[in-house]
Amino acid sequence: MEQPVQTETWKAQSLEELIRILHRIFADDKVSVEEVQALMESYESNPEEWLQYAKFDQYRYTRNLVDNGNGKFNLMILCWGEGHGSSIHDHTDSHCFMKILQGNLKETLFEWPEKKGNGEMIKKSERVLRENACAYINDSIGLHRVENISHTETAVSLHLYSPPFDSCNTFDQRTGHKHKVKMTFYSQFGERTLSVSTREHS
Amino acid sequence: LPAGLSQWFPALEVLDVSGTGLAELGAELLALPRLHTLLAKNNRLGGPGSLPKGLGQAPLGRSLRVLNLSGNRFAEVPPALLGLRGLQSLSLGGNRLHSIPPDIQELRSLEFLYLGGNFITSIPPELANLPSLSYLVLCDNKIQSIPPQLAQLHSLRSLSLHNNLLTYLPREILNLVHLEELSLRGNPLVVRFVRDLTYNPPSLQELAGRTIKARNVPYAPSDLPENLVRYLSLASNCPNPKCGGVYFDSCVRQIKFVDFCGKYRLPLMHYLCSPECSSPCSSASQSSTSQSESDSEDEASVAARRMQKVLLG
Repeated sequence: MEQPVQTETWKAQSLEELIRILHRIFADDKVSVEEVQALMESYESNPEEWLQYAKFDQYRYTRNLVDNGNGKFNLMILCWGEGHGSSIHDHTDSHCFMKILQGNLKETLFEWPEKKGNGEMIKKSERVLRENACAYINDSIGLHRVENISHTETAVSLHLYSPPFDSCNTFDQRTGHKHKVKMTFYSQFGERTLSVSTREHS
Repeated sequence: LPAGLSQWFPALEVLDVSGTGLAELGAELLALPRLHTLLAKNNRLGGPGSLPKGLGQAPLGRSLRVLNLSGNRFAEVPPALLGLRGLQSLSLGGNRLHSIPPDIQELRSLEFLYLGGNFITSIPPELANLPSLSYLVLCDNKIQSIPPQLAQLHSLRSLSLHNNLLTYLPREILNLVHLEELSLRGNPLVVRFVRDLTYNPPSLQELAGRTIKARNVPYAPSDLPENLVRYLSLASNCPNPKCGGVYFDSCVRQIKFVDFCGKYRLPLMHYLCSPECSSPCSSASQSSTSQSESDSEDEASVAARRMQKVLLG
């Protein structure tokens, strides 16, 4: 993705339309970050359209694949129970868009740790994203932790990653040490996937 | 709640009165024999009489499985709900609790307990007597230490402790073999060895007690005053497997760092019977630096490697 080539203003009236437009956009070699972010933000969350993908797990947040974008992107829905949060992680040189479909999510940005990281990681900023907001991050911006800080409400978010990736690094906030993890899907296209391997960053 | 609720809807199984501003749930609830899920979050519950008396004795006491009282104003766990013997899931997140009552152990069927977002300062060891507990959330509180007894929660799969005031964990936590999720971020966990300043040398009574236990000196209740018989029964085994010793009141607290493949150091509190005693693989000397080095071979690290994945959150 590079500078905006031809920035259209899209309005996605439904989740299906959002996916159709994404396929069209990503058919090009050049895709604009601003265009995709505006498109994601334009879709007004309608639970009826995504409830089938929103499978919650009691113990931790889940990743539920919605569309695999002909190999160009992965579109997935993440379900966060009360108090569920992610580790600090990077995005394996990919673009990451995150739109809130329900509830609120807190995003905390961190600086990359020094090569010989041995101190507390540095927080850059934090914000709470409201329903229908869409955030963007990539490795040059930094690392982040996403959490549902509510003790009473669940949260659901829609994520687009391009190119798709299935592993990333998680970081220990106290020391900056990183650890590679494989990511798995809790469900794909609305069907629960039972993985044989041990639980990972899924 | 409207009077006559149980007459109109006698077969009611799920009742959701969340976000309705209720200040109390009345006795109308008690006559709903099939109710298994009650959601009453984000209301104004918390004062005396928020829950009807006799909750445990009503048919509801056996049928209720899920109770969600999050986002209310409870300053203590309402005693009325401790009689809900069939309760599997309880949420009191986002209230004003300052403590957890030991009688929480009455909730014998509890599998899911959410207490995040309160003002809890300590955890009663009785919490460990819940045999089916698999998900325990204590995040966003003011907890300073975890009782080692919590390691008896054999069914525990997920433990949420983030954003508290923990400086270390008991080494027994490594015994939770089914634990898959453990969150510790936002705690002031020590990263360097903290020299314990308060080792009190053992009393003569303790030294005598240790010798009796260590040498298996036989005694019968008729040989000793009752208080000494009781004292001898309270001996704790030194956790150092190479030391057969016991201690009573006097022990050394030592923080040992367990390294997770060089990436994450977890401070675990050990209790040893004396400063001369040390965990295996540490040198015999008592120098603090050698004891604080990462330890890769003993059984603690094997257990630690198993938990490696869960700590990075």
